[in-house]
Amino acid sequence: MMTDQKQQIIEFIMKTIVREGLQISEDTPLVSSGLIDSFALVDILNKLEEVAKMRIPAGKVQPKDMDTVRRMFETAQRVGKPRT
Amino acid sequence: MPATATPLSLTRFRTLSEALLAAPPNQPFATMWQGEGESESVTFGEFTNWAKAEAAYFRGQGLQYGDTVILIMPQGVPLMTAFAGAMLLGAVPAILAYPTFKVDPAKYRFGLAGVSANLRAKLIVLDESFPEELLQCVSLTGQSRLLRSGARPKSRVEPADLPEADPDHVAFIQHSAGTTGLQKGVALSHAAVLRQLSHLASALSVGPQDRIYSWLPLYHDMGLIACFILPMVCHLAIVMQSPSDWVMHPGSMLQLISEYRCSLTWIPNFAYQFVSRRVDPEDYPGLNLDSLRALINCSEPVRASSMDEFFEAYKNHGLRREALQACYAMAENVFAVTQSGINGKSGPCRITVDGDKFYSDRIVVPVRADHSRALCLMSSGQCLPENHVRIANANGEDLPEGAVGEILIRSDSMLEGYYNRPDLTAQALRDGFYWSGDVGFCLDRELYVVGRKKDLIIVAGKNIYPQDVEEIAFGHPAIHDGRAVAFGLYNRDLGTEDIVVVAEVTDEEQLKNPLPIESAIRNAVVGELGVSVRAVYLKPPRWIVKSTAGKSARATTREKLISEHPELQRDGNGANR
Repeated sequence: MMTDQKQQIIEFIMKTIVREGLQISEDTPLVSSGLIDSFALVDILNKLEEVAKMRIPAGKVQPKDMDTVRRMFETAQRVGKPRT
Repeated sequence: MPATATPLSLTRFRTLSEALLAAPPNQPFATMWQGEGESESVTFGEFTNWAKAEAAYFRGQGLQYGDTVILIMPQGVPLMTAFAGAMLLGAVPAILAYPTFKVDPAKYRFGLAGVSANLRAKLIVLDESFPEELLQCVSLTGQSRLLRSGARPKSRVEPADLPEADPDHVAFIQHSAGTTGLQKGVALSHAAVLRQLSHLASALSVGPQDRIYSWLPLYHDMGLIACFILPMVCHLAIVMQSPSDWVMHPGSMLQLISEYRCSLTWIPNFAYQFVSRRVDPEDYPGLNLDSLRALINCSEPVRASSMDEFFEAYKNHGLRREALQACYAMAENVFAVTQSGINGKSGPCRITVDGDKFYSDRIVVPVRADHSRALCLMSSGQCLPENHVRIANANGEDLPEGAVGEILIRSDSMLEGYYNRPDLTAQALRDGFYWSGDVGFCLDRELYVVGRKKDLIIVAGKNIYPQDVEEIAFGHPAIHDGRAVAFGLYNRDLGTEDIVVVAEVTDEEQLKNPLPIESAIRNAVVGELGVSVRAVYLKPPRWIVKSTAGKSARATTREKLISEHPELQRDGNGANR
């Protein structure tokens, strides 16, 4: 079952991409499929920090870590620190 | 524009390794900041011991004096110790960009394959987390070996075991900025680097109390030379963070300068606006920037407006105007050619010139600020000792003061050639000078850099620098700062070039009604530069292609726009938007 947090990120990505008829699930490839470019990831990573309430060291994040919404949250859990 | 030499005590060192080994062991060296309450700090003693362990490990892997070693690791102390360890052995390290989430994977692959092929390295050291799928892009020769960085044995190479150091031996290879795949390796000797650092330290009056802050990547000369090798040789402390972390949290730069009381920082021009437009100082209680002696704008060209914006944003938080400095630097000269603030001056000079004469006749005619065609230009300072600049026309003939031409450089720290690229070396080094490809002029001993020769747009005899057009586009509130590109397109009907602008809007909603924005940009360009723009294309955020150094990749963006708008290639008319 998808969490509210994942749903918030998906809505944010949908707003970023703005493509008619596009549906995104938590397993939709985003970077490798070319749906979003690497520069969009700065905004998405910022949003992920806000939603997950974590600080994510961007230097430890690779494009593949952001390829799906599911991986984004796994990455946040792996390298993120709770916000103080 | 010659300058006289004022040697500094760094000349007591024959090599960079010698300078490192002479550092007081208990003195703080590098602090790598990774977030609130998370940082790694090492003293010079700890750093040197770590570097000696790396040297022992590399030696065990067959690395010998003179061998090239590629380092592809994230920003941080392990990368720096691996670099120093290779140098201690007399091997030749070269740092290449580490892949980050911001870099386009396809472009990164292409660049990595090209650069690693040219280096023909004996060892390629990759971070433990370097993605497996990118391994195939590392070009290996028959003798190359791949190594993963990580835990090292406790054994160390001691100074007595180190090879005899030769000051004229290549210390390391750094790469010129640009599109990664086309980056050129610059091999630099210990002696050349030490000469440059002596001049730079002297110009900046570097002292033991100085502490450097940096988010600059170590694969770029600004990060490598100014923010790693300079403090290593001068035994100064450095506070660093990764470029990705800075982009995500630009306010962290101000926070760290304030918290660690840093006194020296180098940043490119775009960062002044990037930070001042995003970071409200009120979000950082207690922010105090009065420790900054020099915040050095290291771009071609430097923009008075960007520096003014930064000053206005933080002047009530301890930032002093005289801290805003400028320099002109390039990998080919190790680093700086000029530096402002020399000879007791308080900062880079500004002049107001007649814009019409500047663009049409390529000469500088000073006018009052209220002149109808007033154009404000900012200098990059004066030549460092033993650095000599000429301004030349296309035939290599000297131009007088105030005339605009190509910047030619000769110095005692100049490259001897591009690594394994004699063809490029022959193009760049001619008649004892390095032909920089930058365009500028000299006035009253100050160097003003106005753009790149290859980017120059010639509109009916007027020389238009794309940076000037882009600066005007950035000024529109709907345009994302730093995200506009201008270029010339030949118009066969008119027999001259037209100006085309592509700019990113901050919000895609604005694309629904683009005409007022396009019109405002056109009017502003005509008003300020006296030339009309053939077409303005507005694009969604992140459309423009950026280089690994974060600059707009003008040529690649141009190709992308033409491929999306083939009407631009139609002879003469094209997009009459």
